[in-house]
Amino acid sequence: MGKPKVATVWLEGCAGCHMSFLDLDEGLLDILSAVDLTVTPITDFKNFDFQEVTVGIIEGGIGNEEQVEIAEKLRKSCKILIAWGDCAVFGGINTLRNWIPKDEVLRYGYIETESTVEGAIPMHEDIPPLLDKVLPVNGVVPVDVYVPGCPPSTEAIAYSLTEILQGRIPVLPTEMMHFD
Amino acid sequence: MEKKVNLKIDEREIVVDEGTTILDAAQQNGIRIPTLCHHPCLSNWGGCRLCVVEADGAPRLVASCVMPVREGMGVVTSNDRIIEARRTILEFMFAERNHYCMFCAQSGDCELQSLAYEMQMDHLTVSSSYQAFPVDITSEYMAIDHNRCVLCGRCIRGCQEIAGAYVLNFQNRGPDSLIGLDLNEERGESTCYSCGVCMQVCPTGAIYNRYRTHYAVKGHTKDWETVDSFCPQCGLLCPTLHFVKDNNLLKIEGKLSLNGGSPDLGQLCYKGRFEPFKTIGTRLLQPRVRRKDGTWAEETWQNALDLVAEKLGTIRDTYSGKAIFGLASSRCSNEELVLFRDIMSGGWASGYIDTLDGDHMRTISRAMEDVGKTFKEASWKSILESDFILAVGADPYKSQPLISSLIHRCVMEKGVKLAIIGKTDFMRPWTSLYLSPRNGKEPLFIKALLEEVIASAKESSREVERADVPGLLKGEGLNWEDRGTFYDMVRIFAKSYNPIIIAGEALTGTDDPSGLIPLIKLALFKGLLPENTLRLIILKPEGNSAGAWRLGLSSRKGINGKDKWRGGLMLLGGEETLSSDLPDRFSGLDFLGVMSPYFPETLADKAHVIIPKPLWIEEDGTYTSLDGIEFSYREKVLNPPEGVKGSWQTMVALADRTKFRPDFKTWKELRKKVEKEMELGPFLMY
Repeated sequence: MGKPKVATVWLEGCAGCHMSFLDLDEGLLDILSAVDLTVTPITDFKNFDFQEVTVGIIEGGIGNEEQVEIAEKLRKSCKILIAWGDCAVFGGINTLRNWIPKDEVLRYGYIETESTVEGAIPMHEDIPPLLDKVLPVNGVVPVDVYVPGCPPSTEAIAYSLTEILQGRIPVLPTEMMHFD
Repeated sequence: MEKKVNLKIDEREIVVDEGTTILDAAQQNGIRIPTLCHHPCLSNWGGCRLCVVEADGAPRLVASCVMPVREGMGVVTSNDRIIEARRTILEFMFAERNHYCMFCAQSGDCELQSLAYEMQMDHLTVSSSYQAFPVDITSEYMAIDHNRCVLCGRCIRGCQEIAGAYVLNFQNRGPDSLIGLDLNEERGESTCYSCGVCMQVCPTGAIYNRYRTHYAVKGHTKDWETVDSFCPQCGLLCPTLHFVKDNNLLKIEGKLSLNGGSPDLGQLCYKGRFEPFKTIGTRLLQPRVRRKDGTWAEETWQNALDLVAEKLGTIRDTYSGKAIFGLASSRCSNEELVLFRDIMSGGWASGYIDTLDGDHMRTISRAMEDVGKTFKEASWKSILESDFILAVGADPYKSQPLISSLIHRCVMEKGVKLAIIGKTDFMRPWTSLYLSPRNGKEPLFIKALLEEVIASAKESSREVERADVPGLLKGEGLNWEDRGTFYDMVRIFAKSYNPIIIAGEALTGTDDPSGLIPLIKLALFKGLLPENTLRLIILKPEGNSAGAWRLGLSSRKGINGKDKWRGGLMLLGGEETLSSDLPDRFSGLDFLGVMSPYFPETLADKAHVIIPKPLWIEEDGTYTSLDGIEFSYREKVLNPPEGVKGSWQTMVALADRTKFRPDFKTWKELRKKVEKEMELGPFLMY
């Protein structure tokens, strides 16, 4: 049997979770030798044809229709889906816009900000429309493992991956939990 | 003896007093039940339901914080059903409002968050509501973010039960419920006195310190260091707990106690809780010397101290020690003051040493001398036992804020009448009898009050009329209402059994003790409190004024007039801004050296050398209470910034540059010396 395949995607987030993953430093070698990293923003791989993977990892909340599509695709392709970081787990910092109607957010962001001159809300068939509210991943597809944190600590990331590789579905212990 | 009750919690046989709640019974026996709306120093509430347990196998879970124990009761504190219930409640709380920790200033110092960690709540199974609530940032000290509120009501109970302020309460209904201030005021416009008890007991980021940097805490509380200390800023010496992480101050808490303990119940005030977070100027990290062109340059400690010693030495050798002045802030610790005093007089034969508030202390001393006997001043604690409070020329909200809130509590809870002669903004709404004399006319009113009180005692049948204006007050333009107020004061004071008088800056701040003398007599008229104690509290301008006076730092004679000083002067600064006429009096000096934590902007064109010193929070030392009766030692809470030497080091290094050898060689010996000199008792005794 080959090494388990892992795909990671970066949706509405800041890449901090992937940075935290890279922060594993030499610990990364152990994990990379145990898995086969297929699709991931670390390799700037933009083809979201996931094939069949064992573990799918999502960083970021779900804020537009493209992100819904990617989340659904990854869910279908993987056996275990991990939500990485507060954005994927709760919606995170992106939810700041959830208290404001979508149209107002767009108008303010693209037209009314002080630094904008003759702004316009971008519209094109290639640009995915925003959802009314940013959702956590489990607001769109079922999630198996949650690793909160902004970003999650390297220990939490390593712990959850190691547990999965050993065939268990982990819940972070209290001392590894943090939402900040 | 209390009746005992036998029960079983988690199969353990337990005996507790009748009337104990299940929660208290469990906690007394080391069994943990998670809580949120419950606070050990506040009344029981039973609002959040996180503390639910199974009692006697009843189908409905009960809130253990409000359920009293019964004989033979069987309690289960944890099983799958209970954990499920608690977790669901917690999830609902997170989902109801904005509890996103990654943009909350309180993250890392939050009970809601800690509970989520404890229960391993790693996601929500319900969707959030995203209803918007207001944020109130009208107060300088605290923000209220209703979006972070879980409506546990702790702040309301704290405001009522600890602070006695009765500012906070619930407002609106159902999902629109809010914590309201007064009649829907914003914090800045409300009658809140910013004591911060609500913030201390708030379990979330709904009420937070605006002076603490955003995200200062973060992580888990296990990394904190706790320093048991007290606040030396106004002389009440309130006990405090300081929380520190990586030499950063996280928060200052009062030691709350509902029953027993200190009469202030651990309340603290805006000064104690918030001022240490403020940066009030440019912090000095390196000595500075003023160059010929008027600009300031950094200098090594070695050279700066050499320069101070050389300049003061030359002035002394040329004009004698009479031309050497030492001036200290009464915010300094007793040890700093003694060091300064000994080195100024021993090292440079300084002819004049005083404190910045020396005038106040001399006025108090002259008034006491005039009365002729040695009395103790009343402790601030006696306010709570009084049945009538008369404040004259005092603004305790500015000088000793806790005193104003204790007065408020007396007025609100015991119906004590408060009379004020003088200016006040803050206490005005709860003052029953208010007279506002023209500037400096307070003494006339006190004399008239004394005369009328004595007269009414002599003729018990004497009927006072509004139409009468006491001789002294003729020409003071008292209107009909003022006359009524004046005679009410006379009448209520005469009838009171246990009045307390509070005197403040308007009486002590002049060279003339003529206001304080009749006030002492008025206090004596009602007899002394035990131990030769006057029914009088005299508010002092600074935290350690009484200590500075006792140690002889404040000159007994003072310098008359406002002439410019000539010669050399060392100023040992605290953290205050200098009074406005002082810089002007310094302009004729040949040399001005300053020791201060901050760059003294008002002296930028007058001083010659500035030596950095730590803040009070960064140094060990003893402080003396407002009434001179208590004396406490506190250890430093923070380390001074790198490069800043302690006052001990600096002043010993200065002494080494003179022929003077102090009679203490170590810090320990200095402390012993201070202890010896600081005989406690009526501090105005010579």
